[in-house]
Amino acid sequence: MILAVLFANAEGNILIKRFHGVPAEERLHWRSFLVKLGADNLKGVKNEELLVACHKSVYIVYTILGDVSIYVVGKDAYDELALSEVIFTITSAVKDVCGKPPTERRFLDKYGRICLCLDEIVWKGYLENTEKDRIKRLIRLKPPTEF
Amino acid sequence: MAQQLVKKDDDRDDEAEYSPFMGIEKGAVLQEARVFNDPQLDARRCSQVITKLLYLLNQGETFTKTEATEVFFAVTKLFQSKDMGLRRMVYLMIKEISPSADEVIIVTSSLMKDMNSKIDMYRANAIRVLCRITDGTLLAQIERYLKQAIVDKNPVVASAALVSGIHLLQVIPISFCNSVYFAHPMYATCSFYAPSLQTNPEIVKRWSNEVQEAVQSRAALVQFHALGLLHQIRQNDRLAVSKLVTSLTRGTVRSPLAQCLLIRYTSQVIRESGNNTQPGDRPFYDYLESCLRHKSEMVIFEAARAITELNGVTTRELTPAITVLQLFLSSSKPVLRFAAVRTLNKVAMTHPTSVTNCNIDMESLISDQNRSIATLAITTLLKTGNESSVDRLMKQITNFMSDIADEFKIVVVEAIRSLCQKFPLKYRSLMNFLSNILREEGGFEYKKAIVDSIVILIREIPDAKETGLLHLCEFIEDCEFTYLSTQILHFLGIEGPKTSDPSRYIRFVYNRVHLENATVRAGAVSTLAKFGAAVDELKPRVFVLLRRCLFDSDDEVRDRATLYLNTLGGDGSVVETDKAVKDFLFGTFDIPLVNLETSLKNYVPSEEAFDIDSVPKEVKSQPLAEKKAPGKKPTGLGAPPSGPPSTADSYQRVLSSIPEFANFGNLFKSSEPVELTEAETEYAVNVVKHIFDRHVVFQYNCTNTIPEQLLENVIVIVDNSEADEFSEVFSRPLKSLPYDSPGQIFVAFEKPEGVPTLGKFSNVLKFIVREVDPATGEADDDGVEDEYQLEDLDIVSADYTLKVGVSNFRNAWESIGPDYEREDEYGLGPRESLAEAVNTVINLLGLQPCEGTEVVPPNSRSHTCLLSGVFIGNIKVLVRLSFGLDGPKDVAMKLTVRSEDETVSDAIHEIVASG
Repeated sequence: MILAVLFANAEGNILIKRFHGVPAEERLHWRSFLVKLGADNLKGVKNEELLVACHKSVYIVYTILGDVSIYVVGKDAYDELALSEVIFTITSAVKDVCGKPPTERRFLDKYGRICLCLDEIVWKGYLENTEKDRIKRLIRLKPPTEF
Repeated sequence: MAQQLVKKDDDRDDEAEYSPFMGIEKGAVLQEARVFNDPQLDARRCSQVITKLLYLLNQGETFTKTEATEVFFAVTKLFQSKDMGLRRMVYLMIKEISPSADEVIIVTSSLMKDMNSKIDMYRANAIRVLCRITDGTLLAQIERYLKQAIVDKNPVVASAALVSGIHLLQVIPISFCNSVYFAHPMYATCSFYAPSLQTNPEIVKRWSNEVQEAVQSRAALVQFHALGLLHQIRQNDRLAVSKLVTSLTRGTVRSPLAQCLLIRYTSQVIRESGNNTQPGDRPFYDYLESCLRHKSEMVIFEAARAITELNGVTTRELTPAITVLQLFLSSSKPVLRFAAVRTLNKVAMTHPTSVTNCNIDMESLISDQNRSIATLAITTLLKTGNESSVDRLMKQITNFMSDIADEFKIVVVEAIRSLCQKFPLKYRSLMNFLSNILREEGGFEYKKAIVDSIVILIREIPDAKETGLLHLCEFIEDCEFTYLSTQILHFLGIEGPKTSDPSRYIRFVYNRVHLENATVRAGAVSTLAKFGAAVDELKPRVFVLLRRCLFDSDDEVRDRATLYLNTLGGDGSVVETDKAVKDFLFGTFDIPLVNLETSLKNYVPSEEAFDIDSVPKEVKSQPLAEKKAPGKKPTGLGAPPSGPPSTADSYQRVLSSIPEFANFGNLFKSSEPVELTEAETEYAVNVVKHIFDRHVVFQYNCTNTIPEQLLENVIVIVDNSEADEFSEVFSRPLKSLPYDSPGQIFVAFEKPEGVPTLGKFSNVLKFIVREVDPATGEADDDGVEDEYQLEDLDIVSADYTLKVGVSNFRNAWESIGPDYEREDEYGLGPRESLAEAVNTVINLLGLQPCEGTEVVPPNSRSHTCLLSGVFIGNIKVLVRLSFGLDGPKDVAMKLTVRSEDETVSDAIHEIVASG
């Protein structure tokens, strides 16, 4: 299960958050934990360089893309490698929508599309799509090219 | 246009001022949402408003029920628009809103229409939305379409139906469902909203054939989703899962993600096939091994991990997996390095030698930028390193420690402690390392971990004692944690006087008296006194120091100093301190502290001094019983060796204080207390069974819970008509049993020597009850005889066995030899589960499970459990139990016993046969 996908800006404010199967009372804790993790470790990290951590039985893969930091949390089948696949799909889709690693402004400009991409990539905790070209078409309700 | 955008992006300062959501306000956005109701829909504007609503939701904004309903109804109007982009937003918005059961109907017909649309993408999205908001009734109506969708030639439609199936299959408990619903910001204020989503697993299970077909799809993701769903549908049917795995491992799986799932399911099948197969011809091992050569790293890693986690994996089986993991250690991808080192870290716990080959690669990871990877690498190296590499390793770790967080440091400290226990000769460099990091900055938990480690090493490695104590002394010179200072002072008081030069520690201790807070000062005074009492030559000098403490600003410090000066020998001359005084000052109370506390609370200040002998010595069974947790590792300062005596010790002491038991010999075993009364009854009685070679003593712990009563001449009448091999030899009544002040009654029986004689005893409590005036506490002169029926008590086989573990069962088994081995098979009849059968036999025999074999893996059909212990008469006994499921529930067991005496081996069989 992909437990959470979080986008935050440089100040640690949440831009987009998606939780799946995480009890409401734990979400705030996860939010703060992830933002702190990013603040401690993401300084000076190159775009899309993946960082990884474990917290109890849960895996966290996170990275930075332009002004935006992205966190993906998973457990069971979604271990560090599966999550790196998820985060790779997310970063590719975001870059595709924004044209390059986004500034916060650009990210917010494309907010709606990014939400749609995320909806195509992760559906209630499961990875649904992995190819950026396909996602790009799906958010416009166009069938995939390979079909 | 693109150039313009780039230019704009470069000027970030300007941009910050123009955030598209700057000043966004819920009320205004809700107003804007009215555009959804326009007869001429502006698709672009509507999309912008939906984006704003999404942004608000993501920022944690909450909508009232009315607001949420209005937004939902307005959004449904947008189905009129033919704009594709807007339609996609509408689907997302409906999912985000999650309308309630009574509202779903509004949107159902539009979605059903889309589900039958010729436009594939409408179908896919409508399926996802419908499955998100549907309930069981609606699901039955649309089931036909969903089954078709699963085998749709468009992979997006098929995946949408399959992933929907995965979600619908999950049974969500209502309470959780509620919490998820109400947690949604949209509904945070809607207290009466009921969840409309009722998943219907039964319906989804009917899709098995279609899903099976989808597993063969050429589209990689469809295959991945189909495999996940098919496994969920069949997960309770082990045969079906096994067949699925067998067929797929022979065929081709296109998606690496699906391949990873297949590897996981394969591992499950291997686990469930049990230990029947010999290592070497393990089913599916070849498949796992072949996956190590897959082109996708994810698959390779999954296979490698699956192999390392095989039950009883052999070195030969491990080797190829370790080789690929070793390659991953030097990967440029941090995720791969992390995954590999994490897996190797686990392997190192069970097969350290297999991981040794990776040590060079692992050493290079110590400087990895990712601290999680570096910590895992270090702790793995500490597990696999040999004695000669310790010094080099320590040098590398020293540089690393300064830039990691406390939680990582604690892990490293614990690993170093284990390493030092493994290579005691290396204590010097390891102890130096610990003392160095003790001087550096760090939080309480980290410092405590280091101090605990030093204490453990001092206890376990005699040569390390003096250096270790000096390190601790230096630490308290500049320690900001009162708890740690007092604990170290206490420890110094115990260990310091036993060293070759106790005087060297005095300065450190006395410095505390000057420089610390009252708690630490009081602790330091006690430690000084311990040195004075234990080392006669030091006594005069210690007395000088203690006298200075008489003027301390804190009364506790002054009181302690006065007490010690007055009791330790008056003028402080070089004389031996009286043993009784030492015991009084520094010995442990032979009474449970909780009893002392109760008695002190009940003590009314009067001319008559408080008499500590009046405190009952009955051990409050429960808390102490908990302390006897098996396999408890030695802790640091938390459990000093001179701490409270163990339950067994205190029982032994209590029993030896009764002259009638003096000739009973050594106490073999004391049972856990058995309750003979219900909770919260007038009189609470439990019994501890003390087993001797030829005797059994019942210790009845009685508590009177009625404040208005005083019980006198309390005895237990024990009827042993169902235990005719026992004969009563002695009974010690309780003279008086006041309210809430526990007391004990002892009844002793003689029994045949060294034989595990069984029997049932019935018990009646008899006493004279006197009324007490709660106001004055005075009892009536007249008492009335009364009695109280207690539960029966059994002497069972397990009372004659002691749980004593062995560190290496195989060695113990070989060394005891087959001379008195007895083997037999037993049918245990139908059982709830294999685990239940294993537990029952363990409890029946009362022996110690070894090597974690008491844990039965889920769904196992066979299991081997190893037990060890001592039988009455101090005869070592080892037991090997092999369980197997015979038919659906019937359990069969092979029992092999080895012991130092053939009668004991037979006795164990006898216990099982009659149990």
